[in-house]
Amino acid sequence: MTREQIEARVLARIARGAEAAPDDVEFEALALALFRCQYEGGDAYRRLCEASGRSPDKVSTWREIPAVPAGAFKEARLVCFPIDRTLRVFRTSGTSTARRGELHLDTLELYDASLLATFGAYICPDVERIRFLVLAPPASDAPDSSLSYMYDVAARRLGTPLSRFYLGSEGWDPEALLVDLIDLEEPVALVGTAFAFVHLLDFLAARGLELSLPEGTRVMETGGFKGRSRELSREQLHGAIAQRLGVPGWRIINQYGMCELASQFYEPSLRLRAPSRIKRVPPWVRTRVVDPATGREVAPGQVGILVHYDLANTGSVLAVQTSDAGRAVEGGFEVLGRLSGAEARGCSLAADLLLGGA
Amino acid sequence: VKELDSLREAAAHLDPERALDGLSRALGAWRADDSPWRARLAREHGGFSPQAIELGVRRGLEGWTEGALRALRARELGAGARAPRVTAVWLAGSVPTASFAALALPLLGGSAVYARPASADPVSARLFAESLGEIEAGLGACLAIGDDAAALADADAVVASGGDAAVRAIRERVPPATRFVGYAHKLSLAAVGPEADLRAAAREAALDLALWDGRGCLSPAWLLVCRSRPDAARELADRLAAELEALAASLPRGPLSAAEHLELRSLRARAALHPGVELQPRAEAPPWSVAVWPEGLAELPPPGAWRFAQVVPIDGLGDLERFCRALHPHLSCIGQRGWAAAQCAGVAAAAAAGGGSRVCPLGAMQLPPLAWRRDGQEPIRSLLRWVDVEPA
Repeated sequence: MTREQIEARVLARIARGAEAAPDDVEFEALALALFRCQYEGGDAYRRLCEASGRSPDKVSTWREIPAVPAGAFKEARLVCFPIDRTLRVFRTSGTSTARRGELHLDTLELYDASLLATFGAYICPDVERIRFLVLAPPASDAPDSSLSYMYDVAARRLGTPLSRFYLGSEGWDPEALLVDLIDLEEPVALVGTAFAFVHLLDFLAARGLELSLPEGTRVMETGGFKGRSRELSREQLHGAIAQRLGVPGWRIINQYGMCELASQFYEPSLRLRAPSRIKRVPPWVRTRVVDPATGREVAPGQVGILVHYDLANTGSVLAVQTSDAGRAVEGGFEVLGRLSGAEARGCSLAADLLLGGA
Repeated sequence: VKELDSLREAAAHLDPERALDGLSRALGAWRADDSPWRARLAREHGGFSPQAIELGVRRGLEGWTEGALRALRARELGAGARAPRVTAVWLAGSVPTASFAALALPLLGGSAVYARPASADPVSARLFAESLGEIEAGLGACLAIGDDAAALADADAVVASGGDAAVRAIRERVPPATRFVGYAHKLSLAAVGPEADLRAAAREAALDLALWDGRGCLSPAWLLVCRSRPDAARELADRLAAELEALAASLPRGPLSAAEHLELRSLRARAALHPGVELQPRAEAPPWSVAVWPEGLAELPPPGAWRFAQVVPIDGLGDLERFCRALHPHLSCIGQRGWAAAQCAGVAAAAAAGGGSRVCPLGAMQLPPLAWRRDGQEPIRSLLRWVDVEPA
């Protein structure tokens, strides 16, 4: 199967929807075919596979496809196409001095299809279009941000003409946002990064304001607090959003995603009309929970490391190993936090940072 | 902190000779054949394999004899020197012999010790204190184990080891007039010279890598190999791989945390992804790894840990010094083999350029003498105060 043939079949699978029944036979065939393409087309990935003694001829199931640690995207261009065909590069967040991970894309067709299918299913399951208020910069101001790109596409394809971004190259505009929030008469989708919501909540708290946004409004937050001055637990954040914005808990959704993947994971709270902390896995993706010592899957319900296999990641690598601890549960997985090696490394860590490493 | 009063009282009654004798006998009991203390530590520590504890403690304490203690005391204690009555010692890491040294040095200087064990090793300090109490009760009364951070403000001196952030945070809790000695982030490397017997170098480097599983500041994070011939680095790597494979059975690696496993996977991935790196073995999660990096790197490879050997070819002393300088001030020790006598000063200069304070034979990196001036500081004298009395 060529990459084009694989992509056509993945697009057809995505078109059936994020909540369609998974097809294990189809996934197996597409994953193995895509692995072969990526192994043969990507020098860096092939070296990584060889280091673990794996190749397409030795792998008989998608579970055996070597996963690339997310941090490795900082080390090499993980692409299976000629680099001059790159249309877009998404980079992980980071400072200007630290090396950042990069996802190179030579097509946005699958990326867009995947994000719209899941965004639509879990953020807009009950509306055709909705006004987006975005607490993130537009893609024009942050061209290498996958998050800005996602919001751009979602606002364009699922939003109304009144949709607006409140962050830009000049910073953010809380006064304008406050005016718009107070004037709302129709429900909106208020979406953005978790730390942007913290700023909004602080802004409202400083003014003693508690709003009651129109019924039907939904909130989507994503991302962590790494390097930020203030951290809140997810429960604290959602509680504060509910209190300050008057949005019930089941309409506050956490999205879990990573720059290195083309697909994202959402909580199905809006579909269930009840709060859920479970991340749904769309049928073109599989998530394994593995023991980091062995790489083998842990028993259901046991805690391990999340490894994602994303068929929409056709130009890069489909298997990405995260540093996130989680566990498989009925209907998806739970994210339990990020494992940090900082304490574990002791003396060596300083030098790793010193040398510009992970 | 209530214990500090008792410690001050005990220190006031401690005769220096009795202290030295007690320490000497306790250390002797720890390194004796069939030492019950070593056996208990091997059972209770949990961070290393019992074989590693057995070998590491026995070999690590070999030189810590009565004569060595006496010589160290003579070197550092001068007339009129006054030891702090109580030194608070904040331990870090999980290497037992490093904890033993941190506890023994103030005691040898005449100070009582209030010690907080590291979270990664709550056992070593406790057992060492127990052994002192059993062997010399008066000395045992001078060592208390606890975790009351108020001791940082109440003690007469503070010695702290740990990461940069941890040492900074501890220092902030110590009154400005209190003597503070901090040991922050450090790492080490091995340097194999042009005259090295590569078979012996591999055997010695493997021991330095395997003992304490690359967790300590003295573990070689890189092995720099002089290109005495074109394939020296690869030959050393092949021999090292064989040695590490043998040690995986005779001196097994201890358990790793989930985060450590992840970092180890990341280290392997980073090596595998780099063009020109040769990585052994080809396996999913092996107990050891050896990576040979290509010549002319634009930046240093990440430091190895947990028996991950990063082999880097170099041209000679100039390369060694440049490598060390890039690590400044984080270098601790260079383990060396195969440098001509005329080059040894160059190795020491390279160590100094990186902020290092020790050059030792390869194979002995994990066996520092008690008298080692860690981070260039005199281990007992740095705690002492003198009173100068001028003629009337």
